[in-house]
Amino acid sequence: MAQNSRPTSLLDSLGEEIIRIVTPVSICMFLVVVLVSVLNEDSSNSASVSSIATIAYNESSSDSDWDKFIGALWNSLAFVGIVIVATFILVLLFYFRCTKLLKIYLGFSAFVVLGFLGGEVALFLITDYSFPIDCITFVVILLNFSVVGVIAVFMSKMAIFVTQGYLVVIGMLVAYWFTLLPEWTTWVLLVAMALYDLAAVLLPIGPLRILVELAISRDEEIPALVYEARPVTQNNSSNATGVARRRVWRETSAVNSDSIEDQNSGALDSDSVGNNQNGENLVSAEEGRHQERISELTAPLIEQRLNYHRQMQEEDSSGGGFPIERIGLGSSGAIKLGLGDFIFYSVLVGRAAMYDFMAVYACYLAIVAGLGVTLILLVLYQKALPALPVSIFLENAFYVLGRKFRSNLDFGIKTPNRKLLQEVEFFKPDMDGGIP
Amino acid sequence: MERLQNQNSNASTSSSITGPVWPTIDGALGLTEEEEALTYARRFYKFGFCLLPWLWAVNCFYFWPVLLHSSSFPRIRPYVVGSAIGFVIFTTVLSAWALTFAIGGESLFGSAWDDLVMYNVAEKLGLVGWT
Repeated sequence: MAQNSRPTSLLDSLGEEIIRIVTPVSICMFLVVVLVSVLNEDSSNSASVSSIATIAYNESSSDSDWDKFIGALWNSLAFVGIVIVATFILVLLFYFRCTKLLKIYLGFSAFVVLGFLGGEVALFLITDYSFPIDCITFVVILLNFSVVGVIAVFMSKMAIFVTQGYLVVIGMLVAYWFTLLPEWTTWVLLVAMALYDLAAVLLPIGPLRILVELAISRDEEIPALVYEARPVTQNNSSNATGVARRRVWRETSAVNSDSIEDQNSGALDSDSVGNNQNGENLVSAEEGRHQERISELTAPLIEQRLNYHRQMQEEDSSGGGFPIERIGLGSSGAIKLGLGDFIFYSVLVGRAAMYDFMAVYACYLAIVAGLGVTLILLVLYQKALPALPVSIFLENAFYVLGRKFRSNLDFGIKTPNRKLLQEVEFFKPDMDGGIP
Repeated sequence: MERLQNQNSNASTSSSITGPVWPTIDGALGLTEEEEALTYARRFYKFGFCLLPWLWAVNCFYFWPVLLHSSSFPRIRPYVVGSAIGFVIFTTVLSAWALTFAIGGESLFGSAWDDLVMYNVAEKLGLVGWT
């Protein structure tokens, strides 16, 4: 059973794993961009969603920049505050082993996202394009979609492709809703969430860190919305015997070979050694609507975001290995990325899509670069890392640069510059707003 | 190891002749025990009767090797085939209805069409009225 196998090259397996995590992130972002471009052509930019995230201040286009900034700051602080409270509640629940309750709650929230948010987006599309579908068919299709989604993500094991697909869809729907927030609030909120992420995962009092340590000490899995990439399998048959992958969390805060040896010797009979700490962050995504409808549909939606960790599977014997060497050595790790990261990456890209497609490209590159950097850091530090900060900061920088310099770049592509469009519309009423 | 013997009981050579080794489309990552796979297939099949043809479709997708190789996994196969048939029937019925509705339009249904079509229902219920 114990085989010491090496991958063809470290670069191969690492590259494959990176691709397997970058692809769904890219797909999610692409879908959000498509949704934003398709659905926002008619509606005005000033329509904003009243929600938890705008609880402190509702932006209007007549305020000055400074007012908007301060208002956005208050909004973000309120939002981060709610997230902190929710995360601590989650920690408490996990501490008292109410995992059943957690799973039910998560299943419920996934159902709400898929059913209500998905239904709303579908309704937008239908009404915009006057698609002649009748309500019976619509309800049946929507019900199917949501119920199977909940089953796939939470309740039972299902085809990996289906589960991953549903996770991407959930991320896309929530990200689309976030893009409906007022502009300044979005920016400041993203930065605030990145900072919070950094603090909650790395500081010792951070709720995520506590959660991680609890999970490690109990050798349990935190129920959460997490995208797990398909593990890269080796050419040999060492994976064929892998059945239940019992994850053994390895505490790597004190990285010394002794502790690793100890834990690995205990894990030799199981198929996997997990090298990770779980970081988890509750992101409460708002589902609020217009003031009149708040009473019906604003069930605050709490999703869990698991920060970066890497799960390793090792069937080979754990010889005294330097930890970094072990990651590449004969291990088929599966990278996990929390759904909240998908969401926040896509939000900014979606926002950028409202203005300029060049900014979209720039932001996309920034995110992928940030993801790559985070991966490298993960390999270096071998801890749960917050996946947001690097990408968000890079993305913000690129977005600002992209918007500042867009007028200087001319690739012969017509980009839907909204303000320009409004002026030109006056002269050319039949012009399409979009890339031809 | 015993499942390999179960599945290879018909022949002694490689799995390409006897059929697939894994009942699920995920191969080694999916369900590997035949008992467990049977439970899942049965559960998906039964739940699909709650107006969930998509669940049947996912069931077929998940157990695609069972569907493809007609002589393998004799215990799982009835459920998967049942799911496939159920999905096809339901989809035919539903799409027949939807197409009739869409193509027939007002000429076929009269005023009922306006009552049933989704965008009117949505407006009536105020679901999209806020943008």
